[in-house]
Amino acid sequence: MDKYYMGIDVGSVSTNIILMDEEKKVHYKKYFRTQGKPIEILKEGINNLVEEIGEVEILGVGATGSGRYLANIIVGADIVKNEITAHAVAGLNFNPHIRTIIEIGGQDSKIVIIRDGIVVDFAMNTVCAAGTGSFLDRQAARLGIDISDFGSLALKSKSPVRIAGRCAVFAESDMIHKQQLGHNQYDIAKGLCDALVRNYLSNVGKGKEILEPILFQGGVAANIGIKKAFEEALNMDVIVPDNYDVMGAIGAAILAQEEMKNKRKTNFRGFEILNMDYKVKGFECNGCSNKCEVVEIREKDKVLARYGDKCGKWSSLIGDNSIKLA
Amino acid sequence: MSIKVGIPRGMFYFDYYFLWKNFFNNLGVDVITSPKTNKDILNKGVELCVDEACLPIKIYHGHVDYLKDKVDYIFIPKMTSIHKKEYCCPKHIGLPDMIKNNIRNLPPLIDTEINLKKSHKNIKSSVFHIGKHFKKNSKTIAEAFQKAYRQYQEYIEMTTSKIIPIDINTKYKELSYITNVKKENYGRRIMVLGHSYNIYDYYINMDLISKLNKRRFDVVTAEMVKENRSREYAARLPKRMFWTHGQRIVGSAFALIEEKSISGIVYVSAFGCGLDSVLIDLIERKAKENRIPFTLLTLDEQTGEAGINTRVEAFIDMLEWRNRDEIDLSTHG
Repeated sequence: MDKYYMGIDVGSVSTNIILMDEEKKVHYKKYFRTQGKPIEILKEGINNLVEEIGEVEILGVGATGSGRYLANIIVGADIVKNEITAHAVAGLNFNPHIRTIIEIGGQDSKIVIIRDGIVVDFAMNTVCAAGTGSFLDRQAARLGIDISDFGSLALKSKSPVRIAGRCAVFAESDMIHKQQLGHNQYDIAKGLCDALVRNYLSNVGKGKEILEPILFQGGVAANIGIKKAFEEALNMDVIVPDNYDVMGAIGAAILAQEEMKNKRKTNFRGFEILNMDYKVKGFECNGCSNKCEVVEIREKDKVLARYGDKCGKWSSLIGDNSIKLA
Repeated sequence: MSIKVGIPRGMFYFDYYFLWKNFFNNLGVDVITSPKTNKDILNKGVELCVDEACLPIKIYHGHVDYLKDKVDYIFIPKMTSIHKKEYCCPKHIGLPDMIKNNIRNLPPLIDTEINLKKSHKNIKSSVFHIGKHFKKNSKTIAEAFQKAYRQYQEYIEMTTSKIIPIDINTKYKELSYITNVKKENYGRRIMVLGHSYNIYDYYINMDLISKLNKRRFDVVTAEMVKENRSREYAARLPKRMFWTHGQRIVGSAFALIEEKSISGIVYVSAFGCGLDSVLIDLIERKAKENRIPFTLLTLDEQTGEAGINTRVEAFIDMLEWRNRDEIDLSTHG
């Protein structure tokens, strides 16, 4: 039986699963839309994996993404790491000389500054999601363009329009206005790419020293219009790795491989998890005026996890209050 | 039954609660505070306050609303200036007026102006103005204040001897000066910066200090650096910092950065804070020059902790990664 490390990245928009061998070569990768149902998508993803390559031996599991704790509960991970570290690890594995990583995902965008193979600085977007994948998604829908055609469409533009990029709401009304004036789709698409890049560089990239080689990863890296806009704005080359869309998951798998050097047995709960029935229940605790929104995940009668409470009243009932998220 | 004065647990509470409480108590008045910020208070505050205000101002509204039926007076001084030639944030100055316009059926407010811009001696008249609600004799009032001020000085002494101030006392028991004090636990420190009402209200900042402690970092804050030291460093700025909180935050940060006694800085800022937009930039540049990692956490009404957790975890990973590398380097020569 083949032996692999599994990397899982449960993000707001996509859930990615990869299998990687001891040589860090990726043998299987799958990109799913999370659609607000992380548990089902995780099960579906693993089911898909079994169907495609059969049951394999899993040597270790790494989980990352905003749903990393949930992935850990359902699948059983050996290491749970934040996205920034995971992306940096994967980027450095792709090219050890990398000095800047641009990562644009569904709900957040990041910049990671690396010097001599270590992370020296990073930033994420603030509370606003302007300039992220979901913003592009929405505007593409409004223009009636499939998001996968968006980039190539933008490349056809001869004279891009200028669209306000600071705030998603303003950008949208600005774009509608430009549409009403009769600008063509190419120019508007390119205008949106430029706006997103401008917003990224002045918000996330503010004050950061961006040096080559630059890696561009995350779902939005599929968009060649954005890649082009970055190259124009920075006047530098931008590299998009082959596995740009699953770099977080790859990073998690690499971290799992590291972790397993000091461990004997993986926490992976096995492919049986496919046959298990998970029930998720949310309730508001009325114990005090904080009224925490508590989430409970059950597998048949067994409570796998509870979280969301500030005081630990519910999460500690199952004997593990180290897993806390909200 | 003695008179009850309510002090809302927000804004300058985190700087001056001990002073105010002791002053009122010395006048024979009971002090009642609102509970620590919770979801009810937050929701109520957001509902009552104008939309454009920052999160701590909204929360303050919630605290006032909690107290309004339980006390005879609410103490909301108009904090115009608390130091010579310096100002407070415009929102502090407008606080009592904002409250009066946004909340109905309030008990009488004690909204005396504190304005020390021209001279620190102005505090005297403010103190009499507050005190005369309860006592006629000006000497009694002055004595009550002087005594409270001495008690407050003791508290400041304690905070600058590396003990995390005020409210943290009850929440972070192990750091409290009331129970046994462990000053330095882990041998590595992160400086948590920001306005006192953002960093000592653990509901607003989602218990950041515990998160850092759990990852085995000691925490140092601006209030823990002695005032004359902060002022000395802040005075090196090319243009004088005219906000008192700004003086303290920038000065203490510069002092610890130059001393190189911190592993990193986490700045906690409420979305839309005008002062912070200036302070953050000054500190970030200084930190970068001295190769001290810096990160910013922006707070708003979100209650999901995932965003904060990711940033804090990534920041700590980075510190540990850098640190490991430095150790590697030194062993190789």
